[in-house]
Amino acid sequence: MSAGGPSLRWPARVNEIPKEVFLRPDIFEAELQRIFYGGQWHALAHLGELPEPGDFKTMVLGRMPVIVAHGDDGTVRVFVNSCTHRGNQLETASCGRRTEFECPYHRWAFANDGRLIGCPGAREFAPDFDKADHGLRQLRVAQFFGLIFATADRDTPPLEAWLGATVSALQDILGGDGRLRLLGYQKVRYASNWKAYADNDGYHAPLLHTGFRLLQWQGGQGSQTVTDNGHLAFKVQLKPVQNAGFLRDPSLVAFKGVDPQNGSRVVQLFPATVLTKHLDVINLRFAIPTSVDETEVHYAYFAHQDDDAELLRHRIRQSSNLLGPCGVISMEDAAIFQRIHVGSRSPGNAAFQKGVKRLDTLWHDFGQNDEAGNLPKWDYYRRVMGFARAGEGGDGHA
Amino acid sequence: MAMPSDAGLGAVDALQQAYAAALDRADMAGWLACFATTEAAGYVCIAAENDARDLGLALMLDDCRARLEDRVTFITQVWAGTFQAYRTRHLVYRTGCRPGPDGTLDVTSNFAIMMTPEGGSTTVLAAGEYRDRVVLEARGARFLHKRAVYDTTVLPRYVVYPF
Ligand code: FES
Ligand SMILES: [Fe+2]
Repeated sequence: MSAGGPSLRWPARVNEIPKEVFLRPDIFEAELQRIFYGGQWHALAHLGELPEPGDFKTMVLGRMPVIVAHGDDGTVRVFVNSCTHRGNQLETASCGRRTEFECPYHRWAFANDGRLIGCPGAREFAPDFDKADHGLRQLRVAQFFGLIFATADRDTPPLEAWLGATVSALQDILGGDGRLRLLGYQKVRYASNWKAYADNDGYHAPLLHTGFRLLQWQGGQGSQTVTDNGHLAFKVQLKPVQNAGFLRDPSLVAFKGVDPQNGSRVVQLFPATVLTKHLDVINLRFAIPTSVDETEVHYAYFAHQDDDAELLRHRIRQSSNLLGPCGVISMEDAAIFQRIHVGSRSPGNAAFQKGVKRLDTLWHDFGQNDEAGNLPKWDYYRRVMGFARAGEGGDGHA
Repeated sequence: MAMPSDAGLGAVDALQQAYAAALDRADMAGWLACFATTEAAGYVCIAAENDARDLGLALMLDDCRARLEDRVTFITQVWAGTFQAYRTRHLVYRTGCRPGPDGTLDVTSNFAIMMTPEGGSTTVLAAGEYRDRVVLEARGARFLHKRAVYDTTVLPRYVVYPF
């Protein structure tokens, strides 16, 4: 690791996380370089958001503005949203349709495949100027059932290898074939470090979410799959609500999908993407670490292209009320993200307990309700950041 | 086209005041009381971005009276004790009022919601437009449908109470 990175002594016990990791601006800056611009894939969009050639969506990767563009040639690309002349932000709309992107400053124009196609006054440009060298800067892009990932690092492993054992749950979330249709967005900022946002666990659900208890809505049999590179995948069977009478309109929690075995899926991809399918809600959460103290989350909801009008209507009303920043079984999560952040402004370590089998080294099997399933992710984070464990040698310097 | 009478406008404004006052004291029964008792009564709170693109996905979508009642149950019983308390001040002014079908009134208003978390300072939670269909009942005006379309592309926090 390069010298001069932040220094942090990581606890020796594998279940402990130093709280300062959520708070230190120097660590946040290093995370941008090592994680967000480093060797990871970052989910930025689903093809269902930009289904037609010419469609685009702007996003932010780490702090870098990007354009996810569906080219007239049918290829989806991710461009840095910065004019290759003097760096002006090229596109300001959150989405739209364009055959070309024109920078208003000096009217350079780029085709939606990134080529520079117009630059007024080029005869008087620097002697070595060549239009072909000034196309929009592109990131590497890969898709998984329409889910569009980008990486700024040329050494990031191929997408499917990087996704590893999450692929089956992820495919379930993406409707099996990825043919999704956008229903809309809920966008919100949480006063929380991105790592607290992305650290929801398998232990809390029946405890925090009183709604599950009041509705007598138990999770069915399930599993938690954890990868060495920081991903988690939950597959849980859906049990029907036992006390639907608690609601005047129990149709809100109805399940109209075909296979209850396939009812509930959550995939958390390192560093901060959360994708979930619960009942008939298909929800992709794209996160932007706007600062050490704040995380912006775009909750995008989808239907399947083959849904009939009745299922579509049901998905819209269920999606609008169930899992977002004021959803009936998720508002409490949002409140926790912010409280973890405030509470972390205190000395010491946060310690995981539920499902912790040993303290000296990590293991690989986790039950569906173990919070310990988050520990391999934390260890992966620690290694990517170059923080040595106490007793491991080294000075904790990255 | 018959324009709303002064009495009609007065009833509409009284309803807007009652609505804002109920939310500003976190009185969810008072919020519910602003809606017509018919099963068709509804409330939708939706981002302008979705609304402009005809995307139906909302932040809150109560398309029947039963859903309105369930929202009150969740806020007052299920979520109790899990969120940081915050209070609001709704600033609302009417921008239009014209006759709707069957003696109803279609009312538009602008809103801004100031938010003060317990122990914190005051910021803007959201700004937008109410698009309401109001019925004049014997006991006063009530919302048949209320649609809060918020301009705030990215909300500054999670949300507990309706807009
Ligand atoms: S900065 Fe874009 S054309 Fe000059
Ligand atoms: Fe949760």
